[in-house]
Amino acid sequence: MRMKLAIAVAVVAVLLGVTQVRAHHAFAAEFDVNKPLNLKGTLIKWEMVNPHSWFHIGVKDKDGKVHTWMVEGGSPNQLIRMGVTKNTVPVGTELVVEGYQAKDGTEKAVGRNFVLADGKRLFLGGSAGGPTDPVKVK
Amino acid sequence: MRLRSRSFLRGTTVALALTLGATISLAGQAQAPAKPATAKAAPASAAAGKAYKAPRTPDGQPDLQGFWTNSTYVPLERPNGVTKEIYTPDEAEAAIKAAALREAEQTEPGTTADVHYDFSQFGLDRSQSTFAKNLRTSLIVDPPDGKIPPVTAEGQKRAQERAAARKAAGGQYDAVENMPIGSRCIIMGGAGPPLQNAGYNANYQIVQGAGYVMILTEMIHDVRIIPVDGRPQPPSQVRQWVGLSRGRWEGETLVVETTNFNGKNAFRGASENLKVTERFTRTADDTISYRFTVEDPATWARPWTAEAPMAKTDGPIFEFACHESNYGIANILAGARADEKKAAEQKKGSN
Repeated sequence: MRMKLAIAVAVVAVLLGVTQVRAHHAFAAEFDVNKPLNLKGTLIKWEMVNPHSWFHIGVKDKDGKVHTWMVEGGSPNQLIRMGVTKNTVPVGTELVVEGYQAKDGTEKAVGRNFVLADGKRLFLGGSAGGPTDPVKVK
Repeated sequence: MRLRSRSFLRGTTVALALTLGATISLAGQAQAPAKPATAKAAPASAAAGKAYKAPRTPDGQPDLQGFWTNSTYVPLERPNGVTKEIYTPDEAEAAIKAAALREAEQTEPGTTADVHYDFSQFGLDRSQSTFAKNLRTSLIVDPPDGKIPPVTAEGQKRAQERAAARKAAGGQYDAVENMPIGSRCIIMGGAGPPLQNAGYNANYQIVQGAGYVMILTEMIHDVRIIPVDGRPQPPSQVRQWVGLSRGRWEGETLVVETTNFNGKNAFRGASENLKVTERFTRTADDTISYRFTVEDPATWARPWTAEAPMAKTDGPIFEFACHESNYGIANILAGARADEKKAAEQKKGSN
């Protein structure tokens, strides 16, 4: 969401010689719009790093071999302010990641959406407080 | 890729409308001016501040300490077509709702804009956390039209020269030195001063000690340590990314003057001789009125002034581990090399 806006702002900013931009790096430089993917796997590690989290997810191939994918997500600090911790999404959680693979073809991706096994989107809930209040995943 | 379903979006819209409706009406009551203000009149929050006296630090300074955010939906410049300076509470509410819904829009799968993570999922849409509200139609209060003054011929020439220098250095992903300073984690582009709304994680911590005020910015952890003991500005050859700041108290207001910028993180194309004057006034337990004036005759036809509210928020400030375990730059450069390889193969194939 708001990526249209972000791009528009960035383009305008460049045109005007303005230095203020939203993101601190360009995702489209890193990940390939022509390589959309849908990964299903188990959380191995969540690096809660600002400004971008890295989720390490074990994904089985058709032969049963587990590949460790690294998936980039958003800044965790607002999630932490909302009460989310590493225990909220414990190691072993089953996730489906919708995103785009790295341009260099390695097992890295940007996680457009993180979806839980029951179909709910991770960190999204229905209570009041904003467009998408986070919920703790039990 | 899966788009957020329409029914989900509708539900979101309703929840957002309800939430914002509740909050902005309170803000409107708290901050509505008694009469329509003009550009030169004291802003609503400052007027309210006359009745408020900030608590004091042990050495008697007005206490600005704590965690603050300048996240806001008020645009820097007044939108085209808007002629008034101050919205009614209803108009302000509608403007915020419209902006928040634009933020919550899904992008189209398969487009470059979609190659990103979902801001809402990580709680980064502005309406998901504390944001500062007021009834202004623009942060700029002077000039009265709410717009940045025209850029001088010298300022335009400088912008062209900077663009030409960047072009001459090669592509921005040719080498790490060419990458934007924010990606290199040197400083957040536009970190200022003046303090600008970073769009997300727009959080600050203010700490005061005897003779000093410290401002920590969450985005790329920039710190300004501002002496308020009357010492002079260092000589002009001493220059820093965030300039050099000297502060003083004028009654309830902390006034900070900053010069000596190194020009490498130019605020909106300014020259290194930019002067920024900031005025921090605590106007309520949960509000700081933050006003800044920028002067740079080499860039703008006249000085201009903006007022960006700051709202109290929750701490702490989290570490900004900007290089992301050293994945960030390596991945971007690897992507650029992969692009080059692909382009070379395509060229070879077409020959």
